[in-house]
Amino acid sequence: MDLFGGGRRWSSQRPKRREDAYSPGRKFLLLHILIVFLFGILTMQLVRMQVFQGDDYRARAENNRLRELQVLPTRGLIYDRNHRLLVENVAKFSAVIVPADLPTKEEAAVFDRLESVLGIPAQEIAQRVRERRQDGNPYEPIVIKDELDRDTALILKELTSYLPGVDLKVDARRNYLSGELTAHILGYVGGISAEEYAAKRDKGYILNDQLGKMGIELGYEDILRGKAGKELAEVDASGRQQDVLDSRASQPGQNVVLTLDLELQRKTADVLREFMGTSDNAAAVVMDVRTGEILSMVSLPTYDNNLFSKTLSQEDLDALLNEPAKPLVNHTVAEMYPPGSTFKTITGLAALQEGVATPSTTIVSRGYITVPNQYDPSIVYVFRDWGALGPLDFYGGIAMSSDVYFYYMAGGKQDEGFQGLGEERLARYARAFGLGEPTGVDLVGEESPGLVPDAKWKEQAVGEMWYVGDTYNFGIGQGYLAVTPLQLVDAIAAIANDGELLRPRLVKEILDSHGNVVTTLAKEVRRRLPVNQEYLAVMREAMRQSVSKGVASTAQVAGLTVAGKTGSAEFGPARADGSHETHGWFVGFAPYENPEIAVVVFIQRGSGFTNAAPAAARIFDYYFHQRYVAEQAAP
Amino acid sequence: MIQWRSVRHLDPWIVLIGLALTGFGAIIIYSASRTSYPEGIQGLSHPTVRHLIFAAMGLLVMSLVVWLDYRSLGQVTPTLYAVALVLLASVLVLGTTIYGAKRWLNFAGLSIQASEVAKLLVIVVLAKYLADRQMEIRQLRTFLGSLVIVAVPTALVFVEPDLGTAMIFGAAWLGMVVVAGVRPQHILAFLATLGLSTPFVVVGLMGDYQRERIATFLNPALDPLGTGFSIIQAEISVGSGGIFGRGLTEGTQTQLDYLQTPTRDYIFSVLGEELGLLGALLLFALFAFLLFRGLRAATLARDPFGRLIATGIVIMILFQVFINVGVNIRLLPVTGIPLPFISEGGSSILMLFVALGLLESILLRHKQIEF
Repeated sequence: MDLFGGGRRWSSQRPKRREDAYSPGRKFLLLHILIVFLFGILTMQLVRMQVFQGDDYRARAENNRLRELQVLPTRGLIYDRNHRLLVENVAKFSAVIVPADLPTKEEAAVFDRLESVLGIPAQEIAQRVRERRQDGNPYEPIVIKDELDRDTALILKELTSYLPGVDLKVDARRNYLSGELTAHILGYVGGISAEEYAAKRDKGYILNDQLGKMGIELGYEDILRGKAGKELAEVDASGRQQDVLDSRASQPGQNVVLTLDLELQRKTADVLREFMGTSDNAAAVVMDVRTGEILSMVSLPTYDNNLFSKTLSQEDLDALLNEPAKPLVNHTVAEMYPPGSTFKTITGLAALQEGVATPSTTIVSRGYITVPNQYDPSIVYVFRDWGALGPLDFYGGIAMSSDVYFYYMAGGKQDEGFQGLGEERLARYARAFGLGEPTGVDLVGEESPGLVPDAKWKEQAVGEMWYVGDTYNFGIGQGYLAVTPLQLVDAIAAIANDGELLRPRLVKEILDSHGNVVTTLAKEVRRRLPVNQEYLAVMREAMRQSVSKGVASTAQVAGLTVAGKTGSAEFGPARADGSHETHGWFVGFAPYENPEIAVVVFIQRGSGFTNAAPAAARIFDYYFHQRYVAEQAAP
Repeated sequence: MIQWRSVRHLDPWIVLIGLALTGFGAIIIYSASRTSYPEGIQGLSHPTVRHLIFAAMGLLVMSLVVWLDYRSLGQVTPTLYAVALVLLASVLVLGTTIYGAKRWLNFAGLSIQASEVAKLLVIVVLAKYLADRQMEIRQLRTFLGSLVIVAVPTALVFVEPDLGTAMIFGAAWLGMVVVAGVRPQHILAFLATLGLSTPFVVVGLMGDYQRERIATFLNPALDPLGTGFSIIQAEISVGSGGIFGRGLTEGTQTQLDYLQTPTRDYIFSVLGEELGLLGALLLFALFAFLLFRGLRAATLARDPFGRLIATGIVIMILFQVFINVGVNIRLLPVTGIPLPFISEGGSSILMLFVALGLLESILLRHKQIEF
């Protein structure tokens, strides 16, 4: 086969062309064909790409240039009941990297430059970029360093035009103006976790988002957050925004007005600090008995929630978590303690309502009562009073806080034929007063519902049968019974307000971003106490006497009639002399004539008489004689 | 030296199409350089202006070449060959590395792309060698001699590394030896040897750079943000242009900087995106017409030297277009090669006008059969 040599034969047939005995002939025809053939291949590929797959490529080009950005809303503010600002939003600068926009070949140089500006090792940055790429989210920015100071932020801003993929992010940080004072109530905001993001991405949260983690910030997240806006932006190959094509503005979050009175909160904390001495913990709540509004709520020790607005180091966090006094825990709602003698108010009301006693039922306290063993009468158990108090009527029983009086009420006295309430009825009344269940306060972190024991519970939990001694202990707020300070003040408030057990509330109003009231939260009655009005009046009078001439006399306030009940709840193992360490309680309300507020004071390792009651007196005094008097007197 | 009555032998189409393509290129370069020159043309340093200046210089050089008898080049082929080899060798030693390859030679303030100059010189040298051996053209010696002449510069550009130019050397050589009339058996045997040794070339001789480029071509997703980025983005650009294109200066891929070297190796992507299939077909038509006129010059050449030069030039331009466009539309692995007359680049433009000048010079002195 002679494919190319044809021309040679042709030339021999054309002797005329002497000068060049060569004719190109078919070879040039082949070259023509080659030209057509190669351009044909290119054209076919172009037709395939531009005509048949043009729309796909067009979509990919659009996908390249268009980026949908979330515009985060301004978070709502939080005020106290007098519209005093408790938290503000301040600018926070952070250095971020969008891995997709990094120049692959020169990204090491970018990391080195960042290391020199930010002081973060280039290797660490590279590692985090790698991780984000593996997550399959190369367009989501990574925060390399936040809390940049202004100067560094300015330097970085200058550099961003030379460092593709690097950006200065300016967003808002929460600045809690009263820090430690309101930390347990406001909580804090933190970076969204992977799990939270997975659960909330549909609601417009983004990877580097912030959301409420504790307290009101968490409980009212949906209200405070607002609605994220969207921006459809055109970006160039380096990810720099060229143009905003479409946008939907974000809606700022709504503002929350708390029921809290910041000045009262401050006073409560000061007083508590003064009276807690060397105790690990102390807690107090002031509540409006007419509405359930919480006016102050203090748990000591506390922490500065501004720490969480910044980047909290693991060491600092561990230190907070491991501190024995648990500063992160709000002891008013998240810890439970035996209520001690303060519980006699409930035992007493149950006894009156059930006809176990009348106000004039008199019992003589010789300092103790004895109970023989059911099976072996030669064994006799002794239950002590705090003193030989002599004959006491119902008022005296409360006022002098006689244990013996309430042993009779709770467990009766078999050998004298005195029928007590028994554990079943006692537990029923305790629950009716809201013990053993969450109060429903609008504060995330009310984890502890407390504990109201009964025979069934003891059998299951302790594995022992219920003895009459358990009923005695139950009747005076000892033994297995455990309450939170908030539960206790809520129960006492119900005694003060003629029997409405209220839901304690921390939020008064929701305002829109212009300050208009959107929602006013109303009083919520959880239930009515199953106690007649006259008995509630008897109890109020007994509590008044407790303060005016009984064991709560340290709660007296000049010019104000305070009603209340102390408690010194024993806990832990007995000491060598048989006595126990005690928690100091006071719970009461004022004014007696027309109750407005209820106060609970709890001091761990303290006494009701020497620590809790005087502290409550100072709070009452401040509230009625200084706080609002001063304000009203001002022109 | 010119017989004035033979001026009518000049082919005006060759010059006109060359100028049309250059103008076409200037327009595309203008659009492609808007991201780098957002203020538009403000001085002589703008790529569009430079392109047109080089074209004007090219016209001057072309006139000079037409006026000179191409046959005089035949006297100095050893010198031309030496110049080509020195250029290619010195670019390896002294060259500036851009985009991973040494291609530019900085000489007295000028940046010369050595391979662009060398291509044309080697074609002339090869044409002279084959033309002088028309009598013993079917001997193996002649075939091997031509192979050696082209193999040395090919090897030099291959290690630059410049796979594209190496392929053009190979294609020009193949076309020229076929037209010169070497024995087909020699060619077939050589191609078979080459085919069998390809795996060894890939493993042994290719640099990481070339292997990487071929691997990325086969699967750009391996490295979507690196080498693969330019392939994927070029493909998206061309594809998104559709039939009518998105309009000059309206292509989002081009104008948002998604293309690398949009005025040079990836200029066809700009054209494809902004002018669409119709713009590309217009470009192909212009090239095809130019190449047909080039083949006409080859057939009319008075001697084998002229015929082979014209053939070499046609094949050089044809493969340069094919490889450049093929890379842009994912038919071929990435290899940096300019699109003739369209891409920015002084050396390329000047040498193309020299090539056109040679074609005209061949026509001017074609067989003097006057009627």
